[in-house]
Amino acid sequence: MITSPVKLWRRHKNVSAQIGKKGKILLWTIIRVPAKSFTDQAPYPVVIVKMQNGENMIGQLVDWQEKDLVSGCEVVSVLRRLRTEDKEDIIYYNIKFKPL
Amino acid sequence: MIISILGASTTKFGELWNVSPRAMAKEVMVNALNMSGLKSSDIDALYVGNMLSGILGNQANLGSLLVEELGVFIPAFRVEGACASGGLALHNAVNSIKAGQYKTVLVLGIEKMTDASLDETTNALMAAGSDEERMAGATFPGVYALMAQAYMKQYNVSEEDLASVSVKNHYHGTLNPKAQFRFPITINDVLKSPKIADPLKLLDCSPISDGAAAVIITGGGSKKIKKPIRIVASEIATDTLSLHDRKSFTSLHSVVEASHKAYKKSGLKPTDIDVAEIHDCFSISEAIAVEDLGFSKKGEGARDIAKEKRTLFKGDIICNSSGGLKACGHPVGATGIKQIVEITEQLRAESGERQVKGAKIGLTHNVGGSGAVTAIHILRV
Repeated sequence: MITSPVKLWRRHKNVSAQIGKKGKILLWTIIRVPAKSFTDQAPYPVVIVKMQNGENMIGQLVDWQEKDLVSGCEVVSVLRRLRTEDKEDIIYYNIKFKPL
Repeated sequence: MIISILGASTTKFGELWNVSPRAMAKEVMVNALNMSGLKSSDIDALYVGNMLSGILGNQANLGSLLVEELGVFIPAFRVEGACASGGLALHNAVNSIKAGQYKTVLVLGIEKMTDASLDETTNALMAAGSDEERMAGATFPGVYALMAQAYMKQYNVSEEDLASVSVKNHYHGTLNPKAQFRFPITINDVLKSPKIADPLKLLDCSPISDGAAAVIITGGGSKKIKKPIRIVASEIATDTLSLHDRKSFTSLHSVVEASHKAYKKSGLKPTDIDVAEIHDCFSISEAIAVEDLGFSKKGEGARDIAKEKRTLFKGDIICNSSGGLKACGHPVGATGIKQIVEITEQLRAESGERQVKGAKIGLTHNVGGSGAVTAIHILRV
């Protein structure tokens, strides 16, 4: 998992351009046994989304209900806090997806 | 040039809390040497397949570490390709002999995983994926679960059909004294086991394991072994690191590509294979693999396994006589070499209770990440 401030800064530069893009869920799963920094969010869905520009993205689904877990469900990309950091780590924000 | 296997050995796989990586390596290297009739001074180089020693054990420089256990200070290399590290190490060893650099090489696969906690290991294994996948909170079972969703929907395959992969491999595991799990399970046991990443449940997933395996290969002859098993194809192919960047979610391009090359090099076809070791890190992996390797028609892999077409004493092409990753265990760097050891024993008719009668040709299928790299080897009598 990324913890280097330099690497976070480099990646953050690309994040703002990806906010507010629409797409449709292709595939979904619910992660019930996550990696350490995601433990307090589990269980949570991870989806592969076909974006309107034709490219595929992978991301977490937030603000979801059971009925949203179908392929074809319309979603929009939003900026959210990524995970639970250690006290000394920088808070990281990333693109996640929200049902429309 | 003919590449022959002179020695082959694995440790028992499992939670080996009382055994160190050095001890595991020594055990299999000594056993492989004894089988081959060679001394350590006859070995020209050591190739080590390993994924996690840097992340979980804070140990790099594995080549130099493990030649100490061999007792000769020969050229030594660590090769890494996630769960395909073993297969990649063997491929590099084969190439080094073909290039004329070395004559006889020892290839070791090794992994020590159970010393760490579950979330440390889950995290470490995700190093095989991409930043995008890690940032999405995806885990390894999660990525394969996405494939399972796609596969079940596209081909109308049930969770019961997928579960039959684990049931078969546990049955095979009961016949293998080196296996981590030596008890049978039922379809119902799989369906009732806790969910890990929907639709995959605990018993759809291979375990976290410790273990080591070694083979000795040569481009020369042997005084002790008159008719050694030969490696007639050693092929690698790669694909994108991330699953979501691929055209298909129900077939692994690297498996199709590497197996096509291997069949072409060996002049063999899928129906020539008697016995195969498949990289069943998850039940869905074996279902897709038997299709990508040409053993089953597209969409019929899981159903063929449910119909016992890949089961010992019943099927046509027997898959995972060792118990596979699911029941024999999956120490990731060791798996690719353990597969070679299993096929070597089968072709030498030394597999005891799990012997595939009359096996002459075998194949190993070793996959890294979610299909980002595949190593295919074909062995024959």
